[in-house]
Formats: sequence, C-alpha cells, structure tokens
Amino acid sequence: MIRAPLALFLCLLAASCGGEAGGAAPRSHLVEMRTFAFAPAELTVAAGDTVVWRNADILPHTATAAGRFDSGSVAAGAEWRWVATAGEVAYLCTFHPTMKGTVTVTPRG
Amino acid sequence: MRIDRLIWVVTAGVALGACGGGEEADTGELATDTAAVSADAGAGAAGDPTDPQIAAIAVAANNVDIAAGQLAVEKGSDAEVKSFGQQMVTDHSAVNAQATELVTRLGVTPEENPTSQQLTADGEATRQRLSGLSGAEFDRAYIDNEVTYHQTVLDAIDQTLIPSADNAELRGLLEQVRPAIAAHLDHARQIQTRLAAP
Repeated sequence: MIRAPLALFLCLLAASCGGEAGGAAPRSHLVEMRTFAFAPAELTVAAGDTVVWRNADILPHTATAAGRFDSGSVAAGAEWRWVATAGEVAYLCTFHPTMKGTVTVTPRG
Repeated sequence: MRIDRLIWVVTAGVALGACGGGEEADTGELATDTAAVSADAGAGAAGDPTDPQIAAIAVAANNVDIAAGQLAVEKGSDAEVKSFGQQMVTDHSAVNAQATELVTRLGVTPEENPTSQQLTADGEATRQRLSGLSGAEFDRAYIDNEVTYHQTVLDAIDQTLIPSADNAELRGLLEQVRPAIAAHLDHARQIQTRLAAP
C-alpha cells in the first residue's frame, strides 16, 4: 500500500537532486581522444545526454560503434557529438583499433 | 644516450627484424650495422643528437615505415595487414608533414647523420627482403618487422630523441608522436598474434 507513494517520493527526490538517471535536463559529457586513448574510456550517461568526443591528439581518430554511431574521421582539434540512446555501447577508433571505450547509457527517468 | 650507441640500438633492432619469423639474418646488413657502431656521428662533444639531427632521424624513421606500408598495401593478402599498412602510410605521412612544418617554422634544417642514414639503408634492405615474399609469408614477415621496428623507434624516442631535444616545440611534437608509435606497436602485436595462431 505504501509502495506506490514511496516510489513516487523517491523518484521526485532523485529528480530534484538532479541524479544521473533522474529527470534532470540532458547533460553534455566530454570524452577526449588523447595519447591514442579515450579519456574517460568508460562513461555512463543518461539517454538523451550528449557525448562529445574531442580530438586532443595530432592525428585523426574516429569513435565508431557498428550499428550505433560512427563519427567518421575527427581531425586533430575537432569534435563530434552523439545524442545517447539507451544501451551499452562498445566503440573503437577504426584507424587505431587498440583505442577502445564504452558508453553505458541508462534510461532517462 | 650517445648517438653511436643509438645507432647500435636502432640497427640491432632492425637486424632483429630480419631474424623474425624464422628467417635467416641478412649478414650483409649486420656487417654494415657492426661498422656503424664505431662510426663517429659527429654529434658534438656530448654525443647526443642535435635538433637538426633529431629532425633528420624522425623524418627518416617515418619514411621507412611509409615505404613499408605502401608495400603492404600492394602485397599484403590479409585484409587487416593491408589496412594496417595503409594506416602506417597515413599516420607517418601526417607526422612527417607536421615535423617538416615545425622545423621550417623554427628555421631548423634537418641534418643527415649516421643514424638517419643507417635507418634509411636498413629500411630499404628490409623492404627489398619483403618484396621477395608473398601471401601469408609476406604478411607475417611484414608484421614481424613492424613490431620490431616500432619497438626500436619507441625506445629511440624515449631514450634519446626526447631527452636530447633542445627546442621545446620539437620535444613537444616528439612527445605527441610517442603514443602514436606505441599504438602502432600494440596494433602490430595484435595482428602478429592472430597471424601466428594455428
């Protein structure tokens, strides 16, 4: 009997605290392509958030997850953005495939 | 590290590449390498390469891998070997372009030296050796050499080129190239492992 109102209360609490997977406004998250690695290599975001890959290296890289997203060639100093859809995504740089990362996308709300 | 010892490290590394994959060492290359050990690089009292010499070494090192990569694109049979070769051409050409732009802007003229010349000579000898191979044998020999070569270049960057660079921008470029070489090495090792699997 008390479960529904309790759940509602907890949801509202999470939302008002601006939790990662709560009802807060979409956020932007930065992943750098730096020293031939993704930093951070593991990222957790909420669906609807934006992930920005920025190339801080001197050579082009990609952020590619077949079937999910593909930045194409991101030149040194350039950026590429992806609006996250829910699910776990493993990606890599197609030019330098030892460069790997994951994005864990949690449902929003 | 003194430049004459650098020559030994570099040429020993390249000679090891000739020994990789169960192939016989080319004694001609080794004889030249041994002679180079005692060569005077003329690098000055300290024995470390100067910035103009570092520039020439970097350009020579890139050119060697560009030529090898072009050969892999042409003769490689495994798809990943061909694409790795193409990436070596792309990456090392881009690094050379940046190195050239930097030294031009700094007013530094690359100065050929025994190390850069030995790199070039050994690279050409290796390329000729690989040219005689085909199919899976080429793939394995090419990748074995890429592993050895990138390890040798990485060691030279860490032990000699970065520590010896006087100009901060040149040193900065070498520090940014270093992870590229390390990534190439990791990828080459990955392919080497796969090709060696029964």
